[in-house]
Amino acid sequence: MNAGGFAGLHPLVCFVYYAGVILLGLMLAHPVYQLASLALLTALLLLQRQGRPLARALPYYLLVGGLFAIVNPLLSHRGRHILFYLWDQPITLEAVLYGAMMMMTILAVLLMFVSYRVVMTTDKFMYLFSAVLPQTALHVWMTLRFIPLFARRFQQIELIQRSRGIDMRTGGPIRRLRNGAVLLRILMTWSLEDAMRTGDSMKARGYGTAKRTAFYPYRMDRRDRITLAILGLLLLLALAGWREGWGLLTLYPRMESLRLAAYERIHFAIFLLFVGMPILFEAKERYRWRSSRRSA
Amino acid sequence: MEIVATQRLTFRYPDAALPALSEIDLSIGKGEFVVLCGASGSGKTTLLRHFKRELAPVGESSGIVRYDGLPLAELPDGRAAEEIGFVFQHPESQVVMDTVWHELAFAMENRGYPLVVMRQRLAELASFFGLEPLMQRSVHELSGGQTQLVNLASVLLLQPRLLLLDEPTSQLDPVAAREFVHLLRRLNEEFGVTVVASEHRLDDILPLADRLIVMEGGRIRHDGAPGDVCARIWAAGDARERLYVPSVARLLAAVGAAESPADGPLPLTVREAVAALDRLASGRSGDRADGGRPFAAAPPDLAAGSADVAPSEDAGAARQRRLFRPAARPASDAPSDVLSCRELTYRFERELPDVLRGLSLQVREGELLAVLGGNGAGKSTLLQLMAGLRKPQRGKIAIAPGRRLGYLAQNPMLYFSSDTVREEFSRAAEDAGYKGGAAAAEIARWTDAFGLGELADRHPHDLSGGQQQKLALALVLLPRPDILCIDEPTKGLDPVAKEAFAALLRQLREDGMTIVMVTHDAEFAARHADRCALLYGGEIAAEAEPPLFFGGNYFYTTAVNRAVRHRYPDAVTAEEVQRRWSDEAKRS
Repeated sequence: MNAGGFAGLHPLVCFVYYAGVILLGLMLAHPVYQLASLALLTALLLLQRQGRPLARALPYYLLVGGLFAIVNPLLSHRGRHILFYLWDQPITLEAVLYGAMMMMTILAVLLMFVSYRVVMTTDKFMYLFSAVLPQTALHVWMTLRFIPLFARRFQQIELIQRSRGIDMRTGGPIRRLRNGAVLLRILMTWSLEDAMRTGDSMKARGYGTAKRTAFYPYRMDRRDRITLAILGLLLLLALAGWREGWGLLTLYPRMESLRLAAYERIHFAIFLLFVGMPILFEAKERYRWRSSRRSA
Repeated sequence: MEIVATQRLTFRYPDAALPALSEIDLSIGKGEFVVLCGASGSGKTTLLRHFKRELAPVGESSGIVRYDGLPLAELPDGRAAEEIGFVFQHPESQVVMDTVWHELAFAMENRGYPLVVMRQRLAELASFFGLEPLMQRSVHELSGGQTQLVNLASVLLLQPRLLLLDEPTSQLDPVAAREFVHLLRRLNEEFGVTVVASEHRLDDILPLADRLIVMEGGRIRHDGAPGDVCARIWAAGDARERLYVPSVARLLAAVGAAESPADGPLPLTVREAVAALDRLASGRSGDRADGGRPFAAAPPDLAAGSADVAPSEDAGAARQRRLFRPAARPASDAPSDVLSCRELTYRFERELPDVLRGLSLQVREGELLAVLGGNGAGKSTLLQLMAGLRKPQRGKIAIAPGRRLGYLAQNPMLYFSSDTVREEFSRAAEDAGYKGGAAAAEIARWTDAFGLGELADRHPHDLSGGQQQKLALALVLLPRPDILCIDEPTKGLDPVAKEAFAALLRQLREDGMTIVMVTHDAEFAARHADRCALLYGGEIAAEAEPPLFFGGNYFYTTAVNRAVRHRYPDAVTAEEVQRRWSDEAKRS
């Protein structure tokens, strides 16, 4: 485990962060908040060296998000500020803005998941899961392992059977189907046979003789606890602010001003701190390595 | 003090005519290192499984198994799981989790250990086994030897007192197998773990064991110190049983028997064998008033007498030249090539390194060519390229016109798609294009030749390893190939099955078949191959007839050759040494 930066924190801390981002992203609806969160998430991804994958996926994300931005004003005609008429339908500023906000929400969630995939590996997620449900987690683990295992075995079977003329890639559809069934059958018999051996090996190692515990190579240290406390506090404050109506732009029936009210600015700062927290860790990591290289 | 014992243990599988175990009386002492051997079906696995309650086979059983003075049935679940560890034959099918650390922790998680304990045990064991670099790896990326190591480590984390192993090294290559058994010895010596292991290949494990138990037909045939048991087996003269005696012991028994009737334990290591041979030789030369002079390197009296003993310097150099320049042989006496590989280059994926790099190899008509090489050297890949299963990125494979090629993979399970052996055959006959009577005749021919007749209604997966391999081979032979490519055919076979397999290969070659075999088994290649080739660094590093091939090697050679290399540098089998030895005896 050679994860520095944010990924070096305890999985629970990371999980709380991502859960918080998605929660706030869905609940708070204010263009200023949303633009800020998009900017912070993009910065985070760049620091996590995800620029290239992001650039590759961005067109699709924009397509999905853009769909909402375009469709909403076409379907919804509420609002006072009519911009123009399209096929005798009024297009209102409010509906356009609402669509844009929906788009930003979706984009924020998608960006968050890019970072989530980097930080929260299957290992970490399953660790959190197994702390709650050890038995179920074990079964999920075993199932997850079977997918690549079956794929590898299938490749082997295909290679051998092709030399005997059983091939899924040539011949008519019926022949292909028939051959595919033969290959699957071999895979299944082999795997069942193998699963019996695995079962023996589980029994031999005391499976089912006691209540299972979960081993994990993660330890919650002081830094993790402090970070978790800060993140928790910020999240609670942000949610409390949401109950006050901060961070929400009222569009219907009448659009309010985009400007943030006095207390709302404090709330905005809290929100920024929460979403930007990983950036601190990533930036520190980068700086540390750069400065150590300079001094070396 | 005994740790585990049986009293009149008899066991019969349901539907079986004969008991798998009959009246076994056995007591294994604390701290012993016991090796259990015998042909497949002799009851080794059944006996081992009786010592591990969770794995006890289902059937009729009578008699008692005691563990630490207590009937095994009365042992609490927790103690039974922790104190008795079991490692199985197939490295991969024992794995439950995907990463190494998680697999290691699996047993401890099952027992509900607190985190602190798990951490501590994992830390100390990982450093003892040297597993730290592998901890984060996915188990399927490991080699067979590493996987088996992880399996052993996972069991050891429960700190067992009795470790049972069912043919743990049969699926490993020789180097990994040797490392594994040495590790067992260390566990036994340093931690006092009692070890009971069943094995087919005794050469490596026997010198380390305290006790050898030979089973046959569900009974214990021999039981005692390894050297003594080997001497007893040899004296009894049963040809099948003699196959179990390690090759160096067999050599000394054969050579020694001519001089003096066998008495005392047989040597089991190369070191002991060299000493014993010197003793015998000096005894013999002593008769000729030569004094007790040990003749370590090329004694003049022998070198003068015969041409086939230690060659002079020039001969040695010439031998090396021949070894490394195989193409230099005169073309007239060489049979024609049936398959030739020219400058093959292959890699699995674009980003991965080359597996084969400009490899050239000729296969001659009617020969048995053994391709040897380390783990991951690309031996199997080469065979798959030859068989046309994969296409090389560069280079060409030419098969003589009109010749057909058959390929047998390592894992026979890849071939079985039907519920019975009979169906398997008819499907293969159909695929091979036989119709009606011709199909029936062909099937009958191969079932008879391989003795598969009485198994016709069994499920292929219910057959033993040797039988499965025979069946898969019969299926490959059904379309009548002229060239047969076989991948590791002797893996996991007991010595008797191995001998039967060798006879089968001989039979096929008498019928005119050319065979290319990939193997780790130097002993088998030395005894049965016409030519051997060493694959290293993606190309053929050396190729020659076995005596020349192994005579030039220091590590990659047979134990017999290592024992006699100063005397007969190119003798690689016990039979060969015995012949020369008795020739000399006659002359002197």
